[in-house]
Amino acid sequence: MKNRTSQLISLTLIVFSLIFSGCDKFLNVDPPYTQDAENYFQSPEDYEQALVGAYDLLQGSFMSVWISEIASDNTIAGGESVNDTQGLHQIDEMTHGGVNSELRSLFRWNYAGITRCNFIMENKNNIDFTGKDKILAEAKFLRAFYYFELVKFFGDVPLIVDERIGAQEATEIARSPVSEVYAQIEKDLLDAASVLDPFSLVKGKATKGAATALLGKVFLYQKKYTEAANKLDEVINSGAYSLISDYADLFTVANENNSETVFDVEYTGAEGGGYGCLICLEGNAGPGFQGIRQYNGPVYGDGNSYNLPTQNLYDAFDPTDPRRDMTILDIDAFIAAQANPENITYGIGAGGHTGYYNNKYIKRQNELGLPDNDLTSPVNYRVIRYADVLLMAAEAHFQNGNVSEAQSKVDEVRNRAGVSNITVSSIDDIFNERRYELACEGHWFFDLVRWGKAEIAIDGFQTGKHELFPIPTLEIDLAGGNWSQNSGY
Amino acid sequence: MKHLFLLLAAACFVLTNVRAQEITISGTVLDEKQETFPGVKVVVENTTNGAVTDVNGKYSITTEKKDDLILRFSYIGYVTQKVLVAGRTELDITLEIESQVFDEIVVVGYGSSRNKELTGAAAKVKGENLEKLNLSRMDQALQGQVSGVAINTNSGSPGGSSSIRIRGLSTFGDNDPLILVDGVVYDSDGLNALNPNDIESINVLKDATAGIYGVRAANGVIIVETKKGKLNAKPKIEFSMYKGVQQTANRLGLLNAEEYAVIKNEMFAFGGQSMPFANTAIGEGTNWQDSVFQTSPVESYNIGISGGTKNTRYSLGATYYAQEGIVGGSKANFSRYNARLNLSTDLSDKLLLNSVFLFSNDNRSTLSENGIGSVLYNTVNAFPNEPIRTPDGNYSYLEEVADIINPIAQMENSYNYSIADKFVGKEELVYKFNEHLSFTNRFNYNYAVVEAKSFTPLAWYGPGKFANSALNAELESPQVEIADSVFIDRGASVYEQRSSFSDLTFESYFNYDRAFNELHKVKATVGASVFQRKGAALNGTAYGIPNNSWEYADISANTAAGGYLNNVGSFEFKERLVSAFLRTEYAYDSRYIVSGILRRDGSSKFGPNNRYGWFPTLSSAWVISEESFFNVDAINFMKLRLSYGVSGNDQIENFAYRALLNGEGVYVFDDLIVIGTALGRAANPDLKWETTRQFNAGLDLTLWSALDFTTNYFIKNTNDLLFQPDVSGIIGSYGPGGYSPIINAGNVSNKGVELELAYHNKPSRDFKTNISLNFSHITNKVTSVPEGVDYLPGAQFSVGGDVATRFEEGFAIGYFHGLQTAGIFQTQEEIDNHDVVQEGAGPGDFIFVDQNGDGEISFGDDLDKTFLGSPIPDFTMGFALSLRYKGFDMSANIYASIGQEIIRNYERQQPYANQLDYVINRWTGPGSTNEHPRLTTGATRNNSFSDYYVEDGSFVRLRNVQLGYTFPKKSQILKKLKVESLRFYLSGNNLLTLTRYLGFDPDIGGGTLSAGVDYGFYPQAKTIMGGLNIKF
Repeated sequence: MKNRTSQLISLTLIVFSLIFSGCDKFLNVDPPYTQDAENYFQSPEDYEQALVGAYDLLQGSFMSVWISEIASDNTIAGGESVNDTQGLHQIDEMTHGGVNSELRSLFRWNYAGITRCNFIMENKNNIDFTGKDKILAEAKFLRAFYYFELVKFFGDVPLIVDERIGAQEATEIARSPVSEVYAQIEKDLLDAASVLDPFSLVKGKATKGAATALLGKVFLYQKKYTEAANKLDEVINSGAYSLISDYADLFTVANENNSETVFDVEYTGAEGGGYGCLICLEGNAGPGFQGIRQYNGPVYGDGNSYNLPTQNLYDAFDPTDPRRDMTILDIDAFIAAQANPENITYGIGAGGHTGYYNNKYIKRQNELGLPDNDLTSPVNYRVIRYADVLLMAAEAHFQNGNVSEAQSKVDEVRNRAGVSNITVSSIDDIFNERRYELACEGHWFFDLVRWGKAEIAIDGFQTGKHELFPIPTLEIDLAGGNWSQNSGY
Repeated sequence: MKHLFLLLAAACFVLTNVRAQEITISGTVLDEKQETFPGVKVVVENTTNGAVTDVNGKYSITTEKKDDLILRFSYIGYVTQKVLVAGRTELDITLEIESQVFDEIVVVGYGSSRNKELTGAAAKVKGENLEKLNLSRMDQALQGQVSGVAINTNSGSPGGSSSIRIRGLSTFGDNDPLILVDGVVYDSDGLNALNPNDIESINVLKDATAGIYGVRAANGVIIVETKKGKLNAKPKIEFSMYKGVQQTANRLGLLNAEEYAVIKNEMFAFGGQSMPFANTAIGEGTNWQDSVFQTSPVESYNIGISGGTKNTRYSLGATYYAQEGIVGGSKANFSRYNARLNLSTDLSDKLLLNSVFLFSNDNRSTLSENGIGSVLYNTVNAFPNEPIRTPDGNYSYLEEVADIINPIAQMENSYNYSIADKFVGKEELVYKFNEHLSFTNRFNYNYAVVEAKSFTPLAWYGPGKFANSALNAELESPQVEIADSVFIDRGASVYEQRSSFSDLTFESYFNYDRAFNELHKVKATVGASVFQRKGAALNGTAYGIPNNSWEYADISANTAAGGYLNNVGSFEFKERLVSAFLRTEYAYDSRYIVSGILRRDGSSKFGPNNRYGWFPTLSSAWVISEESFFNVDAINFMKLRLSYGVSGNDQIENFAYRALLNGEGVYVFDDLIVIGTALGRAANPDLKWETTRQFNAGLDLTLWSALDFTTNYFIKNTNDLLFQPDVSGIIGSYGPGGYSPIINAGNVSNKGVELELAYHNKPSRDFKTNISLNFSHITNKVTSVPEGVDYLPGAQFSVGGDVATRFEEGFAIGYFHGLQTAGIFQTQEEIDNHDVVQEGAGPGDFIFVDQNGDGEISFGDDLDKTFLGSPIPDFTMGFALSLRYKGFDMSANIYASIGQEIIRNYERQQPYANQLDYVINRWTGPGSTNEHPRLTTGATRNNSFSDYYVEDGSFVRLRNVQLGYTFPKKSQILKKLKVESLRFYLSGNNLLTLTRYLGFDPDIGGGTLSAGVDYGFYPQAKTIMGGLNIKF
């Protein structure tokens, strides 16, 4: 028996050792046809592909547009009920706090974009090839874009440059002062502008003009009016851009990439998608959400009645200003003007109803996103258009005391819109013009804030608190709890 | 020399006996099914004189004539019978199976053990107990059969799966047990391919002794053995079939048209809008349920042949099964062909070959179910004032709500199938060195090819419906831009996917089993196993299918310009596992048994830092009834068991330990989708398996030779849960296709008690009773979550609403969390005087409970939300009864699940959606009710998730009742038909359910964190069947 037992034991040992000596190699399975993050950037194509990934996060811009309109006096949250996308309702009522999934999405998406840019920059010295400088310049432009979103919304934010960080490092990093973040943004945009071509043959790519115009805007937001005027004039004087003749054509798919386009976020309706992951969409979620609820009639498609213009915005326009009806759809008036109004129906969401819809970004029947019709729209988001550049330049010049420059820019914008000139006698004239020209395009809340006019315009707005949105509480916790919350929250 | 002496002695013995007077006794031995029984040993008591029954069960024996002559009939697993010959020369006998479950052989992984000697908590279910239920899937049939194994239906549609949970939920990740069919790994999704008729037995390893399967054993192990033949048995041909009709067991009480009109008018008026119905006297209207539910058939035909020669055992069979849905009929269809061959043959004295081959072809079509927009969801919410078809013959549009479509039209436009061809088998060579030591080498394979197709015709459900695939009622096709300014008609489209999966396992092990001096018994198993799983798939969508017709629905019929395909994709994966295992067992005098298991696993799922793991288990048993001091007549058998051990759960995605560029980096340039690369999930090189430590104490008893009793108490703690908690957004993991890294954090504890009782009367020819009862109680609790994480959100309530289920420390997994109500505000005065501020409340609205006592109800955060229930039952019970009296047999099977809650989440909270008829008792004015709130289209918090939407889900269900008649062995009919046996039966499934739950079916499974959330669940059918079994 003893013999047998020892035989068994030795057999066991032999089997165990045999099995585990040769199996390390057997268990080293590599994922088929999938690239690893650590051995990437071996060819120029790798850089180009990673850059596509860095652009991808631009498509989350609809969220930033929603919030900056809904937070302002331009629009209300709307939707199916007050429980539907609750975060937007809270922002609408200025009752938002650190628990707000929309703000958290915005925070996360922009950092995802930054990380993808940093992933490229981290590997910028791997190989050399012609065209690499352009790719790096685009990555810098995108990084600046994402950081600008973050400082606008949250003020001081952790500044991570040219590296990826891990879970541990994330708990050790502090919020950098706005000034440092802006310095990085300016540096990136200057670098980008010096390398990028004035024109891109590829629709959707960042150009020298885009980087310069964004830099002008960044200066303007910091009240660096001289630098802002210089940069915006550079864009204007480049001759690359001009206003298109008809304001009504600005927001259609057919008219994308026109002479007024400085930078667009590109969307397509070809892929469709679901509500489960809005950041995964290749289409613009804005127009579908902002579409007419349960609409059954001509011209427009069906939507979810989000982001609805207020009476206040409607009344702000001169009734003769054609931009009012281009910007705001008075749904009842529209239906009454149709051939068979009694056959046209729409629904009213319990999330709020004003009678108005956002006519710039709205579901139109000839612009349905496919294959889902409902959610994804091919309509690009106009991030910077030339009219905006002109008005920003006007503002900067006026603040620098150069009233005539400001006057000519405002005239140019008003002429195109088909309204008579006004005399620019105060900065308010430029502010108002920005609202008429750019309402519902995602600028207004931050315009009000930087002008110090938000408390007057927005019910519930508290100066010293609501200029910034709260850092999502969970993000503070997950970063080790060391960040202080923005004041007032 | 010694041999010679023996020979001489034998010769003398024979010679002397010739002179004595002799008698020859002959006869037939039958088994418990009254079938001839070959291979039974027949011995003259107190002699070595014996015989063995032949293939016809006949024997003949010659011996000295004595008055007290006794013959002993014996066969392993059967009760030995001693019969006084008393002068007879013909003696027929029937052997009965040993009644005590503790004499049964239980398969424990790489070997088997007599239940008596088992040290762990294992249970066995015989195939016949599953077959009896006539269900399409093994898991459905297993419900209520084993204590500690909770089975809930994920879908009642034909071919729908169940969730199998052995001893509770131990993770929010994958809780499926390891399922092995003749040693081949089956995932629970793949169970559609397995034919319950092919199953000989199911063995469930519940405690740490499952640790012989190491890193895959934490959720328990189910070992399925398929049917085998018998040596020396003449071919036995069996044919069985049944046919049945199914109907829904339950319909919801919904508003009829008139009630609907009255209530909606009130609701709109309350909301300050004009009333939609000028005339409310519009009669009953449409009962959508009447049109959606239908009576549908189920049928099955099965033929099997088994038998054996001296060296070979064989069993083969073929089955056809088909079931149509009670919703959708052939659109929710399941059918399956199975073929099986199980062959064992002695290649030589020492070498045994076991070969199993299982083929299946299953075909399933499904409707959209259990979600917003699913057929039953639409049925519940469809407006009763609308006809199914308008007078012009078109389906009605149900225009007022964009996401409710006509369910009849929806079913008509639903076209899909998924066909799986599966080849499963094993080739096994067992070399026996001697009667104690054997060496087994086996090769297992599981190869499946799955072909899925789904056709989307151009369809128009009405203006604004998101389900529309056409532009208008004329079915004009939308256009798709496939390149800059290149447009094509999308037309009808078809999506196809072909995928193939292959598992290969090679296993090699020694088994040693020897008794020394009758006192010491040693058993050992040592071996190794190598496993590889591979899968690959290719899919694409074709546009422009001709004639808008399913008949042409194939990618090859694509008429799009340039053969344009959309959503073309593919995937491929590979995973490997290398293991070695050792099990030793020592028993002293059949009284004291100790057993140890040690397994080492290496898995490609984990990185080099944590690739290998050790999994040890210790167990022991004390058979008290074998002790000399034990002297209780009523107790025939008594055993105490203890076990403790460690096992793992590696069920996570492959390559989770490393950072891959598998994120989604897609953008649009030049109006075309451009695919780039992006970081996917962040890496965690230290990732390891979840570790489960389980303690089990058990007691087995047999009382009065008729009552078997087993109880187990267990504590099962799972640590290092594979968590994917939120990480800081600044890491940048939250882009498209990005995820936070998977980390090991969080603990879950399950404690429970299991009881099993089985009663058999003393076997006799005329009357036989079997009663079994099992009971399980489990307390499930999350004992820790990762730092910085408060809870993990689960299922959402309503559309875009609150998170209703959670994984949170101190609570059961997936518990329900929301606002608590305390009646209804009756008057404005009451609201004004209420000491808690509740924003927006009006008379008729819920009074919510201020949980944190800050004097204010907070809707925007979780401060006033609390525990509202849990999908985990307090206890479950299974009860089975079978009676046989002469030719008649009767059986019944009852399952009870008590104390769980269900979230009613199939109500579309839209002004025009239809409602359950409880709203008739809504609040209409002060004092009208304190239970149901007012109805209004205006802003209200009554739709926020609260206990109002949580219902008691307890139920008791008569799962099966069956009545059968077997013709007597010697009846004329059998002779005329030339059959050996014939049985007819009538059977009913799901005939009765006692529950207070309002929904279609309280037996609701679902994912770990979505368990107990009812989105319009496809209910299990009520079925009446008639069938027959014939043996030739």
